[in-house]
Amino acid sequence: MKIGEKYAARAASNDDNMVPLINVVFLMLVFFMVAGQIRKADPIPVIPPHSINDTRSVTDPNVVIVVGIDDGLYVDDQLFAIDEIQSYLETQFISTTNKEGFWVQIKADGGISLEKLRPVFNQVRLAGLTKVSLATQLERGKE
Amino acid sequence: MPLNLSQPKRKNAISLTPLIDVVFILLLFFMLTSSFVPWRIVDTPLSVASDVLVTPQEKDNVVLTLKLNDDQVWMNDQPIRFADQARFQALIADHSEGIFIIKAEEGVTLQTLMHLADRLKLNGAKIVSIANAFAMPETK
Repeated sequence: MKIGEKYAARAASNDDNMVPLINVVFLMLVFFMVAGQIRKADPIPVIPPHSINDTRSVTDPNVVIVVGIDDGLYVDDQLFAIDEIQSYLETQFISTTNKEGFWVQIKADGGISLEKLRPVFNQVRLAGLTKVSLATQLERGKE
Repeated sequence: MPLNLSQPKRKNAISLTPLIDVVFILLLFFMLTSSFVPWRIVDTPLSVASDVLVTPQEKDNVVLTLKLNDDQVWMNDQPIRFADQARFQALIADHSEGIFIIKAEEGVTLQTLMHLADRLKLNGAKIVSIANAFAMPETK
């Protein structure tokens, strides 16, 4: 019948209209899956300093210290007072098996003044640790 | 006589709606959790408390002091602007085997320190030490 055929053609075309949408969504999905990196978010937002340095870490840091621009200090995602860092680092160092590869990463905001970072470095030094790295952000397109 | 209207043959296609639902959820998940910040690391090896810090007089070392975030650095009480590439190149050529030790006064930001370290590296400095900028004043 003529009426039935028309109805069937319309019903089929409803899904056909969505094919371009699905194409775009799939492309976006693939882009985010390939280009992005899934990682744990920092406890406070930190914009690391820009640098031409292109060194990547080979292993994951044993301890991550996040220093925010608003004086927030987080060690392994926990809020810490500055004086507590040394004992925490010593405990972590004792409990680790790979003592040679033990290293501390400091993620600090680029806008933070250095005198706020000095006590943090001092605590690491007092804990007897020497392998410390600062997190930076790769600066692209400049020189 | 009964009217025999044959039903139109429907396509047995799978509905796309559940597929789109799932894909949208996946897309949202990846959009919200993905990080595009290219993190890198700068090693700042620390000397242990008992060690003696390298003094400026040793070897062919050059001590550069940041006083403000004004894109200039001081060496022997003379300012060098970050943009003065010729001055940096001459300085680095004169001390090709030396260590460039960066110190910082109060108020200098981490970004300024990294900016100076980048300038030195770009102009050919082999060893740039930023660890002294993080040393407590009494241990300098």
